[in-house]
Amino acid sequence: MKMANTTANTPTKRPRSYQVSEQFVILLVFLALVIVAFALLNPNFLKLNNVLTILSISAVIGLVSLGQVLPLISGGFDLSVSGVVPLGGVLFAVLSNAGLPFLPTLLCVIVAGAACGLVNGLLITRLHINPLIATLGTLSITGGLALTISNGLQIPFENTDMGVLADKGIFGVNNQVWLFIGLAIVMHIVLRSTAYGRRIYAVGGNGEAARLAGIRVGAVTTSIYVLCSVFAALAGVVLASQLLTGSGTAGIDTNLQSITAVILGGAALSGGLGGVPGTVVGVLILGALSNGMSLNHVPSFYQTIATGVVLLLAVGLSQRRRRIL
Amino acid sequence: MTLTPVLSIRNLEKSYANNPVLADISFDLRPGEIAALLGENGAGKSTLAKIIAGSIRPDAGTVLIDGHSVDFGSPREALAMGIAFIPQELVYVPELSVAENITLGSPPARAGFTSQRRMTALAEQLIEKAGFELPLRAKMSSLSLAQRQLVEIAKAVSRNARIIILDEPTAALEAEDSRQLHQLVSQLASRGVAIIYISHRLDEVFKTCDTIHVLRNGDLVRSSAVSEVTPADVIADMLGHQLKTGRSVAARSIGAAVLRVENLHRSTAPTLDAVQFTVGRGEILGVYGLRGSGADTVAETLGGLHPDAAGVISIGSMRTTAIRTARKSWDLGIAYVPADRKSQGLVLIDTISRSFSLPNLASITRFGFIHWYKERLLARELYERVRIKSRSIHQVVGELSGGNQQKVLVGSRLLANQTVLVLHEPTRGVDVGARQEIHDLLEELADTGTAELVVTSDIEEAVKLCDRLLIIHHGRIVLEINDPSLADQAEAIQAAGGIS
Repeated sequence: MKMANTTANTPTKRPRSYQVSEQFVILLVFLALVIVAFALLNPNFLKLNNVLTILSISAVIGLVSLGQVLPLISGGFDLSVSGVVPLGGVLFAVLSNAGLPFLPTLLCVIVAGAACGLVNGLLITRLHINPLIATLGTLSITGGLALTISNGLQIPFENTDMGVLADKGIFGVNNQVWLFIGLAIVMHIVLRSTAYGRRIYAVGGNGEAARLAGIRVGAVTTSIYVLCSVFAALAGVVLASQLLTGSGTAGIDTNLQSITAVILGGAALSGGLGGVPGTVVGVLILGALSNGMSLNHVPSFYQTIATGVVLLLAVGLSQRRRRIL
Repeated sequence: MTLTPVLSIRNLEKSYANNPVLADISFDLRPGEIAALLGENGAGKSTLAKIIAGSIRPDAGTVLIDGHSVDFGSPREALAMGIAFIPQELVYVPELSVAENITLGSPPARAGFTSQRRMTALAEQLIEKAGFELPLRAKMSSLSLAQRQLVEIAKAVSRNARIIILDEPTAALEAEDSRQLHQLVSQLASRGVAIIYISHRLDEVFKTCDTIHVLRNGDLVRSSAVSEVTPADVIADMLGHQLKTGRSVAARSIGAAVLRVENLHRSTAPTLDAVQFTVGRGEILGVYGLRGSGADTVAETLGGLHPDAAGVISIGSMRTTAIRTARKSWDLGIAYVPADRKSQGLVLIDTISRSFSLPNLASITRFGFIHWYKERLLARELYERVRIKSRSIHQVVGELSGGNQQKVLVGSRLLANQTVLVLHEPTRGVDVGARQEIHDLLEELADTGTAELVVTSDIEEAVKLCDRLLIIHHGRIVLEINDPSLADQAEAIQAAGGIS
């Protein structure tokens, strides 16, 4: 009778762990299709210079997405990155123009980002405010702060050496790309191979079960939002370095873009799923799409439409196989 | 009783996957009659109630209303014929007012528009007709549990229900509220409404009901007037003749007390009142009680779910007055296996291996990094020990049967090196085979010296598994049975049901 029981429970469904990799394959095929299509349309698309451009541009969204993946795995999300990115950029410009050297400036911006994340985390875990509402509120506040500090103006870097994060680096690849690659590897290891990573997945998979397994769910959740905002602040510095200007409006579309990239990469709003490799491919798809369309002189309005279509297509395809539980 | 039956059941049968749940059930219900429907968990009470209320269809047999055969396709059709089912877990909209909840199904509307005033007026009218008094403008969520139940009953009566089925209505109520509910039920009956009353509380049944129907394993083993039976008869009917008595294994040698709970109190329902016990090394202590009796609260308190329950809890050399968080419970040396494996126990999208690791992360990590080899070793050991049937150790937990899921949950709590294992309904919703295997495992663990506290609402489990059994009623320990056997079930059920 027991055997009958188990065979009855092992039909065509494959374990979820395989499914995730299946979805990863679909994603890679998607990326390949996008690349092939644009390469055929425009021979310049695959030229080294253009590829480096795609990577440099994607690094900003990529950094935000490396942070965003954490709240999404835990079953929430962070809209406030769109305020923290410009705030990070503006603070960096203001502090460096005040004469602070590079590293202390960077450190200050990161601390400011962590503070924003701490507020998010405490609003969500202590006051039990829904992440949508909590981060919507802090989005307004941080975005407003960025505009207040910059007085609504562009703040050019007085010392262009401060833009080192966006300079050309090893092998002619821009530093922000190396930064993104390095942090992606670190985050991948954190999520895959540390107890902390396991806890994040457990909190998103079933918060109550995680709590009863002895995990400090509140502390884990708060730390997630802190990290997410730190990544956003860092992305803000990179973006400002690219433009050699701090601006209160630079990067205000990063929240929806990063959420799109992470969800493309296999995360679900219900939590417990997602990861760095998928997110990186998701970021590259978005980057290739926008760059390819620009090369072919497609107006940017169509680019946002294309992004939406790609998101719905990818999620729709995987959704059919996601209905296990 | 010479009235013609308002409801007649004839030769009703129902089975799930060749597993008979109800076999050849027949009985009558007359206007104004309060009929108790009794039976152990899984005897078929809920299935029978759901068939009468139209939410499931029988395989064979007929349901007659006023002598006419009916075949309900949905609860809505049953409601139209005057049958209302009030489930254990009430269904209402907490943020709406009482009036809105009462008129929810059919709000008074003109051209699609409705108003607070009109809804309140209609609700007032309905409630008055039904002879109730309720705070119509209050939000449903601001009412007490008992009042919410009244609202549900009022709703049923206002829709001209002639048969009301109540599924364990007092399980979560305090004594005073229970009494009020019984008064109301009696009033309704005196006005000709027929009531089917599902309950485990024999004291209530014998005070309130007219007739008693006892189900056992899907058979109707007794239908008689309350005046013709004693509680002892009814319990004997519920349990049937069980030949096996006594433990199969020799009594264990029980060591010094490792968990000591003194004077545990909780003032919010379900309350606890001076609960006191010890669990020794190698001992399985059972706590048995009905829903809402406080037995669950004892388990949950030790699991860290009730920071407001206070007393003196000592484990080994550690002492505390209240366990405020689940983390604190672990730190004290308690491994808690929660009652609901799906919502509280497992991350269903995780693999078996990862589920085992979750409470044991500290033992398989170094400097925060997971040691893959140690994780494998741990998973293999637990997998062997709890004897899970699955394709591999990497199968997703959500795909397993209930019994195997429960084994994963219990297994995840075994290696944490905790002093006391607190098991809350360790075999709820688990098939017979898995249940036996889990029991065997728990006995083996006790043989090796683990102290276990088993909180269960399954009397057979309580007497078979435990070395010592405490019975809780209304938050108090009312009986202690040493070395219980199947023969002690009747006494335990009586005590838990409030009959002394």
